[in-house]
Amino acid sequence: MVSTVNMAVNLGGIAMRNPINTASGTFGNGMQFEGFYDVGATLGAITCKGVAAEPWDGNPAPRLAELGGAAIMNSVGLQNPGVRGFVERYGTYLQGLSDRGCAVICQVAGHSLEEYEQAMDLFEELAPFAAGFEINISCPNIAAGGAAMGATPASAAEVMRAIRPRTKRPVVVKMAPHDVAEIGRALEAEGADALSLINTIPGMAIDVRTRRSRLARPTAGVSGPAIHAIAVRMVWECAQAVSIPLCGIGGVASWEDAAEMILAGATAVSVGTANLYDPTCAVRVVEGLEAWASQQGVSKIGELVGAFEA
Amino acid sequence: MSATQHDFEVLSCGQAAQDVWHMSIHSEVAAELEPGQFVNIHVPGDGAHILRVPLSFSHADSKNGVVELYFAVVGEGTQRLAAMAPGDRSTLVGPCGVGWKLPARQGRALLVAGGIGLPPIVAAARMLVSAGIGFDAVVGAQTSDKHVEDLLDCLRTLCKDEGCDCARKVVLTTDNGTRGIAGFTTQAMEGLLAENPYACVYTCGPHPMMAGVAHLAKGSGIACQASLEAMMGCGFGACSCCNVALKGGGYALCCSDGPVFDAEEVAW
Repeated sequence: MVSTVNMAVNLGGIAMRNPINTASGTFGNGMQFEGFYDVGATLGAITCKGVAAEPWDGNPAPRLAELGGAAIMNSVGLQNPGVRGFVERYGTYLQGLSDRGCAVICQVAGHSLEEYEQAMDLFEELAPFAAGFEINISCPNIAAGGAAMGATPASAAEVMRAIRPRTKRPVVVKMAPHDVAEIGRALEAEGADALSLINTIPGMAIDVRTRRSRLARPTAGVSGPAIHAIAVRMVWECAQAVSIPLCGIGGVASWEDAAEMILAGATAVSVGTANLYDPTCAVRVVEGLEAWASQQGVSKIGELVGAFEA
Repeated sequence: MSATQHDFEVLSCGQAAQDVWHMSIHSEVAAELEPGQFVNIHVPGDGAHILRVPLSFSHADSKNGVVELYFAVVGEGTQRLAAMAPGDRSTLVGPCGVGWKLPARQGRALLVAGGIGLPPIVAAARMLVSAGIGFDAVVGAQTSDKHVEDLLDCLRTLCKDEGCDCARKVVLTTDNGTRGIAGFTTQAMEGLLAENPYACVYTCGPHPMMAGVAHLAKGSGIACQASLEAMMGCGFGACSCCNVALKGGGYALCCSDGPVFDAEEVAW
């Protein structure tokens, strides 16, 4: 099908050839998917795995449980090689993606305000390939930092205040699945260029025979198609509250799921957990979204952002 | 060769031992698989369980495109897999992971398999025989009914191909003594180590068994490769869920750094 719809979108200064992005932690750093499809020629953007200033080991095993009900639960805990190691291993590949028109979003992680600042400074210096940065203030799987940093409007704003002067490139903030309107407003006020939501929903899975957690830690993040409706509702709530663009994340496994996110107010949409069990999912989402936009009779996909009729 | 998605068709599927099923599939992936790698299978029919099922294989025939899979029926996914019938189709991701390496030192190999760890050990045996390397094997199961006769026959045939006295070389154990030596594979392994000089050990089975095998190999100064298992999200290094603790600190990923590891690197 030759479409006449302009699929390009702009996520707070990050130019994307189409609205499809990948959720951090579900897409490696892109390379792992090259056997499945041409990443650089297909996606609007990729969001890399969260990286801190120094390497982190991540959490002990087991880190994963299949829950049934179209959901899984993970507690990876941001295992990463540190910014220097990340750039050394993936920099050349990611520069190639960027050169081919796929925006590269680097995710910034930290246990404390200082660690976020250090990671941001290193990225700013060492990652010319990054079209923008996603600040992860919502990881539920680390003991300090992560979700704690984004738990309240005040704490989220504090992180944004620290990050903002350190880069001129677009800053997206990855939000936890609660109070998205209030926290979104606080982040917008501190200069966030865009917001991405939602991160995984904290949950528990108990092995009733052993009375222990099915994962190494008592709580972990729930993801997968089961959380999609919750994520769409939160994107819609956040879209009412802010005027900066949103990237919708949560259980997207088909073009219909992505279209819902767009109608609810998302400018871009990330495929997440589906990448793991259906590695070519994002390709079909890109194609299906274009056909849908064409059927909707718009000239630009952007016209459908927030076009939900309540 | 990096992992990609392939179609497959079930050629046959049936019970091979108590709780163990054998499925032959036809897939182009057969031409790309190396011994000790694995495939990650989408089992159709249940949208509630979303993850694929990672499976090792005993043999991948590149000429006719057939892959021989053996799996233990342990949960919902493997139950549905066992119910697939000839002609059923689905997709798999593969080839996944890093497989067995040929030994660095010349000499006889010792293979130690426990339970459903046997299929990749049979793949290792084929690799070794193709390279002209002889082996002895210890195969353990909880009970006599859980020994997979097809695969034991494969090992014995491979011994014959090598032109040696096979009866001496495939040693069976059962935890309850209903077949072969009563006890664990490690007990049989100790006996073989005392009688024979081995250049290398290949092992796959329950984690505590492999820990014991690795310990014995190290004690005898013999290199040991172990094929590990972990709960996997993707099977190709994208999610970092299948971590394996390393002796030197930190983690490797079972799916893309393994599943075969140098036993010396693993924090058992």
